[in-house]
Amino acid sequence: MASDSNCSTSSNNSTDKNPYPNSLDQSLDAIEDQLASIAVTQPDGVVDETSSSLGPFKEVANGSLDTDIHQESTTGEIKEESRGNQLREFSGVEFSKEVLASSSSGFVWRRTNSELEVDVPSSPSSSGYAGERGSSNATSASGIEELGVDEICELGKDDSFNGVSDLQASSWVPGKRHLDEDDASISWRKRKKHFFILSNSGKPIYSRYGDEHKLAGFSATLQAIISFVENGGDHVKLVRAGKHQVVFLVKGPIYLVCISCTEEPYESLRGQLELIYGQMILILTKSVNRCFEKNPKFDMTPLLGGTDVVFSSLIHSFSWNPATFLHAYTCLPLAYATRQAAGAILQDVADSGVLFAILMCKHKVVSLVGVQKASLHPDDMLLLANFVMSSESFRTSESFSPICLPRYNPMAFLYAYINYLDVDTYLMLLTTSSDAFYHLKDCRIRIEMVLFKSNVLNEVQRSMLDGGMRVEDLPVDPSPRSGSLSPYLGQPRLASDLPDRFREAFDGIGGPAGLWHFIYRSIYLDQYVSSEVSSPINSSRQQKRLYRAYQSLYASMHDKGIGPHKTQFRRDENYVLLCWVTQDFELYAAFDPLADKALAIKTCNRVCQWVKDVENEIFLLGASPFLW
Amino acid sequence: MGLSSVTTVNEATKFCIFDLRRGQHEGQELDKILFFFPADLPFPTQLSVIGLSEGLITFTRIFSPEAACEVIEAERHSHVFYEAEPDIWMVMIVEKNKELEAIWRIDALRRVLKEVHSLFVMFHGSIRALLDKEPSGGLIRSHLYSFIMDYLSDFLVGKKLQLPNFRDSLKERGTVQMLTVGREAAIEVQSLVRVLESCAGNSPCYSLVLFRDLLVSTTLCPDDTINLFTYAVLRLTPRVLSSGASSWSYLRKGNTASHAATGSLLATSASVLDQFYASRETFPGGDGNYHIVRPLQHDKWTKGKDGFLVTDIWSAEVGSLVPTTPTIWLQQTEERMHLCAYQHRNLTLVLLIPVTSILNGEQGVSLVKQQLLENASLKMLRVEEKLSKGWGGENAYHVSGYRYLLVDGDRNVSRASPPGKVTTLTKESLVALSKLREEVDREKNRANWDGPGHEKELEVCIRAKNNAWVIAQVTRGKELYMVLEKANETLLYASDAIEKFSNRYCNGVFSLD
Repeated sequence: MASDSNCSTSSNNSTDKNPYPNSLDQSLDAIEDQLASIAVTQPDGVVDETSSSLGPFKEVANGSLDTDIHQESTTGEIKEESRGNQLREFSGVEFSKEVLASSSSGFVWRRTNSELEVDVPSSPSSSGYAGERGSSNATSASGIEELGVDEICELGKDDSFNGVSDLQASSWVPGKRHLDEDDASISWRKRKKHFFILSNSGKPIYSRYGDEHKLAGFSATLQAIISFVENGGDHVKLVRAGKHQVVFLVKGPIYLVCISCTEEPYESLRGQLELIYGQMILILTKSVNRCFEKNPKFDMTPLLGGTDVVFSSLIHSFSWNPATFLHAYTCLPLAYATRQAAGAILQDVADSGVLFAILMCKHKVVSLVGVQKASLHPDDMLLLANFVMSSESFRTSESFSPICLPRYNPMAFLYAYINYLDVDTYLMLLTTSSDAFYHLKDCRIRIEMVLFKSNVLNEVQRSMLDGGMRVEDLPVDPSPRSGSLSPYLGQPRLASDLPDRFREAFDGIGGPAGLWHFIYRSIYLDQYVSSEVSSPINSSRQQKRLYRAYQSLYASMHDKGIGPHKTQFRRDENYVLLCWVTQDFELYAAFDPLADKALAIKTCNRVCQWVKDVENEIFLLGASPFLW
Repeated sequence: MGLSSVTTVNEATKFCIFDLRRGQHEGQELDKILFFFPADLPFPTQLSVIGLSEGLITFTRIFSPEAACEVIEAERHSHVFYEAEPDIWMVMIVEKNKELEAIWRIDALRRVLKEVHSLFVMFHGSIRALLDKEPSGGLIRSHLYSFIMDYLSDFLVGKKLQLPNFRDSLKERGTVQMLTVGREAAIEVQSLVRVLESCAGNSPCYSLVLFRDLLVSTTLCPDDTINLFTYAVLRLTPRVLSSGASSWSYLRKGNTASHAATGSLLATSASVLDQFYASRETFPGGDGNYHIVRPLQHDKWTKGKDGFLVTDIWSAEVGSLVPTTPTIWLQQTEERMHLCAYQHRNLTLVLLIPVTSILNGEQGVSLVKQQLLENASLKMLRVEEKLSKGWGGENAYHVSGYRYLLVDGDRNVSRASPPGKVTTLTKESLVALSKLREEVDREKNRANWDGPGHEKELEVCIRAKNNAWVIAQVTRGKELYMVLEKANETLLYASDAIEKFSNRYCNGVFSLD
């Protein structure tokens, strides 16, 4: 195996080093040698460290063969069960049979999906062998070619965009891609954004691209870097090289690393690592740490078996979902009465021993109720919704699944009853009791009935179709309108609703004064509202760029040492961005780069007024149970 | 010996230079190290610093072959990397500490590395060349050691190295500060320059004219101008010579008031340095047998009776008592030049004559000097007089209400609010500006990697928590940084202020609306 030979060269090859290693193995060897050479002279401690960084490397390399075979030959069902067993081992979780069956079949389906549908069509030219040691030159061309294809794939994914739906790509393919790559592949090295989870002994746990088992050597190198700095009494946070950033996050025995050449600031990438860690905790709880206490070389990959799709969907959301950096959630626009009706029935069941009752449509909240003082952190909601939406099994039948809310209690499992009421709308009932399945099932039946009778589900469907706030609809007159978000709430939206003059002026150029998009975040409500994308930014490439521009703006405004700033105006070749942070809200607005400053400011004021006018419909008010 | 106490104080900062092509074999790792500060740090510690640096250089090349590691940010330290020459790396490690004002801007620190390397090359040639000359490494180590220690002494405050931090956000190292000259004076200067260059007959000379610490004229290419200008301001200008002790770097002038007891600090810094030198014997390869020219040594230049600046720095080279004319290397033409400096009141004049064009050594140089005195002294008097008359004083470039830095990246020229005025700003404003500059630095670097034609256009106005406006604008290779305190809260007020400044002082370059 490749990784085996890696190992032998690392010990034999150390006499002849090239400062410009072409193949990764050489460079990895070089790094380890460099770190190891210090160990020779380091009086204490470090010798152990470096040798241990090589230790797991060898071991994993050997072990990976077995695991590979295991993965290929066994069905997902068995795999999933083994995960369940292990979970039970350290946390005493018991799955109901029903759940086990449904979720495991779901994982089977996903595996097949990711292997057949995803990996085969991606370039056949880049097999893992092509990039093997010594032949990197030969593959470079194909590698680049493949990258181009992938790039186009990724960028083109939203091209089916219909102008109404949110930024989430409908054609985005879930699950892990490029499984055939490893760190020797040129294509792998050129991926724009890598995410790794590894253990503090250097064992790979997750990699966004490539097979974890083949990345054992690479993982050991990451571990060596982290622990080397730690031995010097410090903690490495970031390494910058050209356009690349390597961001490190240490969470007890778990190490997370992002290697990215996107323009995102350090704070954003670090936040993304935090979310990935949170996602892992959501699946396993923090008690997984105990496994590492017992056995530092514990292999965590089986515990996460089949959850690739959860992580890849989360990582995908880092490029379209503002909730990932705003730390706020967003609601589906609904008439106040409709949302109240939904809230009332959720409150009903919450009184009967449900910790949280959440009704969501895709990533948007319809209503949400919690028992006294138990408040749900927006990040937990994001991770929970991602977990549910990315796991195909939840769509097919009702499920009862142990989950952990990392911000609520990272040490303990809660139990989530999950049921899709229609194709996009799902209900989540969270409880602390592991045997509440049938009770929650009853609750769901009651809720579903009430929602059906009060027409809430239809309203939800309609709102999905109609979309949210559009910059083109920004009221022209500055006088406050005590009204609704209509013309399109509660009634079908007609093109003729817009005055002709207005349409002519702004068709294809966004809203007034060159306004293209805005995000308004209410600080007290922990909620944000984001306008629908308008025509100047309707390609997915443009949306991603705008999203990243907001992300940078957020990071710049919220500097840990000196922030938050009060106002920021930023103009570059792509946009005029305006940000306004007060005690009550934050407004982020994007304009045409040639927008007039004075008009842009006026427009921002109007946006704020508009949001306040329709807050009954776009926000979930009184989310705290005391106010009900 | 007080050596240990010295280094414990300086532990906060480490500075090393190493060659990736050396010490490839096990047990020979020490061979890589060409310079390490503090020198008396145990070798295992030195090696661990270099090992980490080398490891990350190799690691980052996996993903970013065109640009290896530039910075490591750890919780308590920043490691700043600079590949000075192919495979020759300089790494500076600074400790972060908000209480001690240790808030850094990486690019500002990297510019320190660039500056010391450029100056080194100007006097000694490239590091690689010296390594090739003597592969054992002793020669380059002794040269680097004395040169960098002399350079660093300018940053010593007491026993501590005080590197540029957020308080220096309205400064740009590696740029030249120009004197604004009236039309009439400009013509006088031009004619002076013509005369100067004819002094050496037909050989192609270069000249640099300074008034006080400001550049008046140069015939050198931009890079050489920066190096020579930097050196002149560090060691040659009247301010430096008259202070008798030149330990205050030009960057800190104007701040002197805030650092009381300068004299005593200088005394200490000198002895601190001596202690460092004492430890040189223990330095690998530094057997002390080399003759080392120390161009950055303090208090070595004086003004002679004839107006020419003299130094014995280069004298010992031939072992004679007659002062030898200094020589430098030009970066662009790779020519070796004699350096003659002349001073009249506030006017400093540097003339560079090709070594190859002067056949009979020192005699030839004095002949040129004589020519210069005969032909140009009158003109120099006149120019000095004109410039002095037009000189607006220390605060000549102060613009009331503004604290600013203006950088022309194409010409490597900068102008800024006088340091005395910048000190009136609050710490919060300066930190905010430093962070904003860090952001802009990143955007600029990114644009650089995207290749030519991707020049960054950027305008950022931030109303900070303390209500100051912190502003950065980058357009067509020019940069403007500004802090407006006690200003109106509306954004339009701030952009109006930029507009006015731009129209008045920058030919409207930054007026976009």
